[in-house]
Amino acid sequence: MIQFRDGFYTDVRIEDRSRTVISYKAGTLEEMRNRLEKQAFVRVYDGKLWYYASVTDVGHLQKTLDGLYAAATANPDVADDPIVKRFERNRDKLSNFADCSVRDIPLKEKQALLLSYLPILSEDSCVTLPEGKYLDRNSRFRFLSSLGADVEFDYQTCGLAFNFSMAEGEKKFSGHWQKGGTRFDALKDIGETLRAAVKEQAYFLRNSVPVEPGSYPVVLSPEAAGVFAHESFGHKSESDFMLSDESMRNEWQLGKTVGSPILSIAERGDLLGSGYVPYDDEGTRARKNYLIKNGVLAGRLHNAMSAAALDEGLTGNARAIDCNFEPIVRMTTTYIEGGDLTFDELIAPIEKGYFIKTINHGSGMSTFTIAPSVAYEIENGKLGKPVQISVITGSVFETLGLIDGLTKDVELLSFVTGGCGKMEQMGLPVGFGGPYVRVSTMNVQ
Amino acid sequence: MEKEFIKETQHSVTLNVTAGKIDSFRETERTTGTVRVYENGCIGVAGALGEPDEEKLTEQAKEALSFGIPYPCLLEGALEIEERDDEEILPIPELIPTMQDFLDRLGALCPKFAFSHKITLAHNRKEYRNSRGRHLVSEGRSFEIALIAQNRGSGNLFDTFLVWSGKHFDADAVLAYFKEQYDAYFMPADLEPGRYPVVAGAVELLGTSLRHFVGDLYAAGASLLSGKLNEKVFSDKLTVCDDMNPKTTYGACFFDAEGCVSEDYRPTLIENGVLKALVTTKKTAELYGLPNSGNADAPYDGVPGIGFHELYVKPTAKTLKDLVPGKAILIFIAEGGDMTPEGHFVTPVQMAYLLEDGEIKGRLPELSIGADFFDMLGKDYIGTVCDVPYKNAALTAVMMDVTKD
Repeated sequence: MIQFRDGFYTDVRIEDRSRTVISYKAGTLEEMRNRLEKQAFVRVYDGKLWYYASVTDVGHLQKTLDGLYAAATANPDVADDPIVKRFERNRDKLSNFADCSVRDIPLKEKQALLLSYLPILSEDSCVTLPEGKYLDRNSRFRFLSSLGADVEFDYQTCGLAFNFSMAEGEKKFSGHWQKGGTRFDALKDIGETLRAAVKEQAYFLRNSVPVEPGSYPVVLSPEAAGVFAHESFGHKSESDFMLSDESMRNEWQLGKTVGSPILSIAERGDLLGSGYVPYDDEGTRARKNYLIKNGVLAGRLHNAMSAAALDEGLTGNARAIDCNFEPIVRMTTTYIEGGDLTFDELIAPIEKGYFIKTINHGSGMSTFTIAPSVAYEIENGKLGKPVQISVITGSVFETLGLIDGLTKDVELLSFVTGGCGKMEQMGLPVGFGGPYVRVSTMNVQ
Repeated sequence: MEKEFIKETQHSVTLNVTAGKIDSFRETERTTGTVRVYENGCIGVAGALGEPDEEKLTEQAKEALSFGIPYPCLLEGALEIEERDDEEILPIPELIPTMQDFLDRLGALCPKFAFSHKITLAHNRKEYRNSRGRHLVSEGRSFEIALIAQNRGSGNLFDTFLVWSGKHFDADAVLAYFKEQYDAYFMPADLEPGRYPVVAGAVELLGTSLRHFVGDLYAAGASLLSGKLNEKVFSDKLTVCDDMNPKTTYGACFFDAEGCVSEDYRPTLIENGVLKALVTTKKTAELYGLPNSGNADAPYDGVPGIGFHELYVKPTAKTLKDLVPGKAILIFIAEGGDMTPEGHFVTPVQMAYLLEDGEIKGRLPELSIGADFFDMLGKDYIGTVCDVPYKNAALTAVMMDVTKD
């Protein structure tokens, strides 16, 4: 039982995490491990300064907490602090994965599943280095605060990730494909999809040609569109960036037109997947937040500190990558909402442009950048030959205004590798996606 | 049965800065222990968070041998080295008042910038020993001031970074260093598209090409360098290493996860233009018949894989002016670039300065730079200088195509 002291706001986040990694390279077992860790992160606030500590032995939690109390200064009015007043006092127990926890599946079964797919990687002679990984994570979170919050929930992801380096003569290509989700059973029977991905990338290796740099209409796949939404606008919506420079608040006034009228970007933590955060790391319940609605700046993402500073409501976006760090403002699942076109209708008006199907990475400041992996030419409204593109770039705001077509169907993606990086906290699991998105002009290099 | 034991303790104190004020104090200490055992060509690994119980971990590692993970190689032989660089940089109780005073002075010197982010004091200790008599201890401290600077009114999440790391904190010297960059930020400059010497930290120019140095990719024929080991493929002025030397990479551990110790604590990949090694572990070196570069890294409970620390490029010039006389572009932020499968590298440049005879003349608009991988490190490689006044790091110069969007 944790003893909270008067005169301080305190919260404690405990994570009991199970993580499995099984990997093969060129047919040889490289790694097989299941890590179990139980850690905590404690925060004490006295109205002036936050004091944080991570605890690797949860048995020492009270001792660590008492050390933070000793460093801080008791404040009888801390409950009236605008940050403290914002904190929610939720009491809840959520369990989505008790009946399907990956903790209950033997390592050997996970290994057998991975092994069943590896031969597919070597069906084409151009694959010179086949690699496969099985990854899962099951976490049980508990959040307690001195205000009376007491929340428990579970989180789970599992998936298979394949890399297949290809070489044929002087031609090289780094192929990759992965399937992420929340249930182990969903990873069964995906062989044909994997096979098709390997075949497509082998075709790309053999037939792709360098792009002719220039400005062209570009169609983004749900994967590329999701990364675009995340990188180009999601990070700009993280309002801790607005705390240091007050003029940012004028630049980012809600209601300002920031994109095409057909563009809406939403953010929510209550969708199962890698960005599932039903309660954030300050105990705030998840909700749907629009960042852009019909081209207009509609909201931004907060932790309690930024919400108090901007006098706005909480959004459920205070997150830390693990119990070594304090929660900062982060995304959960970010996506572009769908439009009214089919894929064929979307590409039909394009005389010459490019379709970005898969990507290697993306980043965004005032200019965003996406490094495509597999891309195709679009000629006279039809997909054409595969093309090698280093990067597509553009001004974020110009590009948001140049979105002129969206398909009806939206695809949300979960990943088991990578993740979002922000300053010192790298690899945070997030979800993203969207429809197929047409941009009238982008810089292609 | 052979055995390795590793214990690592990482202690850090981190201050968060918002609007030029310290608003949080975070102290973390994380100790991990690892035992790896080797028998019949296989490896078994066990690890624990917290103070390690070596006996218990050894039993768990022996059990893990049953997974049958092949790891056919010998451990490193007897050697004892202890590198301790643990002189106190700043006493923890003085950290908040000292740094708030520094931030207040910085704010007064640079009023158009709003500052945020982190100040970190770290103390790491790592011990490695194995059943062949190798015993290595690395202990070091580091201090870093990493500030995001927003130009007030720009509307940007960040406009530039002011970063300093070192072993001896001299507030006046760091303030002067930051002020010089602040002044340069507000001097506009321009240049016509064309070919220019581009000067940047080595990782900004070479980071996306590092995967081509990975042993597995090389052996699979999927690297642009495949088949070129011991061949002279780059400029004879170019020597590139991974920098594990704590004298130049503060806080670095001088040995890799398998207890390998390189000459000068810097595994060499390219020496005078010759590809001398690929990035390997003992296992991948053995498997592919490559020299072991000593680049193993491993999670505390995992099998060693490859890791990379910082790029060290051997200096060829004494001053920035010697390196790039005349006009040149100094890159400060270049994020999001990549290379095509054929080796054509392009990156947008978010922040750059125009240099003339080694001195900053003004801030350039956003640019793109591009070059071919082999040309960058070959005929277009100009050289490298260390101890330069900007960026607190060595700078490498390459002739590149520069375009404006």
